[in-house]
Amino acid sequence: MVSQAEKLLIDVGSTYFKVCTPTSIEQHFRDFNQDILDDLMSKCGDTISRFDKQDVHICSSANGGLSTLIIGITNSFSLKYATNIAFNSGINIIDTILFQNIEDYSVPSDLIDVVIVVGGVDSHSNLYSEKIFSYLDQLNYSNAVFVGSTQDSQSMRDNIENLVVLPNIIDDKLHIVEEHLKDYLTNLYQQDIEGKEEIKHLYEITSNQILSTPYVVNRALPHIETRVSVANPFILLDIGGATTDIHYSKDLVDENIVTENEYDRLVFKRLGVYKSRQSLILAAQSNEFVYELLLHLGVTENIYNEQTDKATKILMQLAIFLVLCKMSHYRQSYVNLRLLQINSIVLTGGITKVLSQDEVETIIAFFYRKILSSGHNPVAVMDSNYDIWTLGTKV
Amino acid sequence: MKVVTGVVGNDIHVVANRLIDLSLKARGYEVYNLGVNTHLEEFFDAVVETGAEVLMISSLNGEAEGWGREVKLLKSKYKNLDDVIMMIGGNLVVGSGNTEDIVARYRKYGFDLVCHQIDLNTGLDMLQSTIEERFPS
Ligand code: B12
Repeated sequence: MVSQAEKLLIDVGSTYFKVCTPTSIEQHFRDFNQDILDDLMSKCGDTISRFDKQDVHICSSANGGLSTLIIGITNSFSLKYATNIAFNSGINIIDTILFQNIEDYSVPSDLIDVVIVVGGVDSHSNLYSEKIFSYLDQLNYSNAVFVGSTQDSQSMRDNIENLVVLPNIIDDKLHIVEEHLKDYLTNLYQQDIEGKEEIKHLYEITSNQILSTPYVVNRALPHIETRVSVANPFILLDIGGATTDIHYSKDLVDENIVTENEYDRLVFKRLGVYKSRQSLILAAQSNEFVYELLLHLGVTENIYNEQTDKATKILMQLAIFLVLCKMSHYRQSYVNLRLLQINSIVLTGGITKVLSQDEVETIIAFFYRKILSSGHNPVAVMDSNYDIWTLGTKV
Repeated sequence: MKVVTGVVGNDIHVVANRLIDLSLKARGYEVYNLGVNTHLEEFFDAVVETGAEVLMISSLNGEAEGWGREVKLLKSKYKNLDDVIMMIGGNLVVGSGNTEDIVARYRKYGFDLVCHQIDLNTGLDMLQSTIEERFPS
């Protein structure tokens, strides 16, 4: 058995898992015909058995986390605040609905893990009508939470079954109040991870709580400088197999959300290089600059049909470009990052094992030149030893 | 009575905004102050979230005209703002201009009360009378 202070860190993603000891790091593609634990043991059993249960720390983003649908009454306050809290709790947003136009929205057919209803300061009331109840009647969801005006909570409770009511996320200065909804969502996510049969089995090798990966990464960011040399302000891109996560420092947004968090998180679903490969390709095909980017990289669109290492590389490069594009156009996503002020772009996740620093920087330079018409050139920082994740697990 | 106020656009002149906040409170209004650098959509959204009866926009640096032209279109996208008292004040044009023309123009943009370079207290008295007309007690 190794000495007490040494820890084994395991991250289970939707596509691959990584196992990190104080001296080594291993990464393996998951075998979906096997249970996670069996898969882990067959690939890294020797390493794992060297550690005591209490020294093993596991986090997971398998399944891409929980999904939410948010119903609010304005874009600038209720929907924006709830979106911010959901992202920071590691939740993926399926859609946001502006209540006044609720009849124009289609009802998603997928099961929604949690519906969030929000709107109004506590001194305002009657913000919703029966329309919301008939919408919810058609929706397939597991949990519902109300975080709007206290005056409306009774009528909401009377009309929505098993509704959880929490304090308003909008205070009487129209500022955001995060903690209650954030705790609720984080716990829900946690329960979801722990409730999955496959994850339960992992408790055979750890006696610590299994945490969600985005939570771990977000927790590491305030301490990032102790492990990686980055120049503030920075953004962190975690391009995974199924989704892409962006963590950014608050100085980069110019807006009305005033919180104590230093870092926020944003997720682009279906932008990944394995599970979401097809939707990544679709996004690339509808981006007018990608043709030129492919030329710049010396390939043609035929690359989409190849299953080679080269094709994987190109897709990862496209993913970086598409994420930057998505963040650059005003109001296309719910925040607009001041990309010209960024000094570092940190990349973490599997991508750092596949792309070289040069291959990343050429994309960043292309993006700034073509999309922002600027010679600005932030440094790419490759977190290839998973320092950030290691840090987050240890904090 | 609830009032949403703030300075529109990329305007950072904050002094009048502080005074407006204080004066409104002194007159008994419930104030939601969005501060400087506020976009039009945020003003309307704040009215929806708070149920304010009055929207009081300030503009000092000369941007007002551009925003004024956007008001009608943006407001038409909302389904419940028709009864809000819309007020604007400060320096409503670049340089100087004929007050009568300015008032007429901003009324067309959809403002009920237009206070071009009018002292704050006079403006608040005008608001008071409008409220008394709209909501006779
Ligand atoms: C101080 C000041 C600045 C400071 C602001 C500091 C700060 N954070 O507040 C600084 C140096 C940063 C600044 C910058 C600029 N400024 Co300046 N600034 C002034 C100055 C000298 C005083 C403003 C002030 O605080 N007055 C005191 C307050 C209490 O008075 P007030 O703002 O006029 O408001 C009163 C009334 O207008 C009224 N009121 C205001 N809003 C409302 C709303 C309602 C509903 C009602 C009823 C009444 C009302 O109530 C107040 C009390 O009576 C004025 C000139 C002047 N003497 O007014 C120029 C002035 C406002 N600035 C001007 C300009 C052009 C600029 C700049 C564009 C300059 C530049 N080229 O960079 C920048 C713009 C920056 C930006 N993004 O907004 C112009 C605007 C011209 C125009 N509209 O045609 C002015 C008028 C100077 C001028 N004569 O050219 N400025």
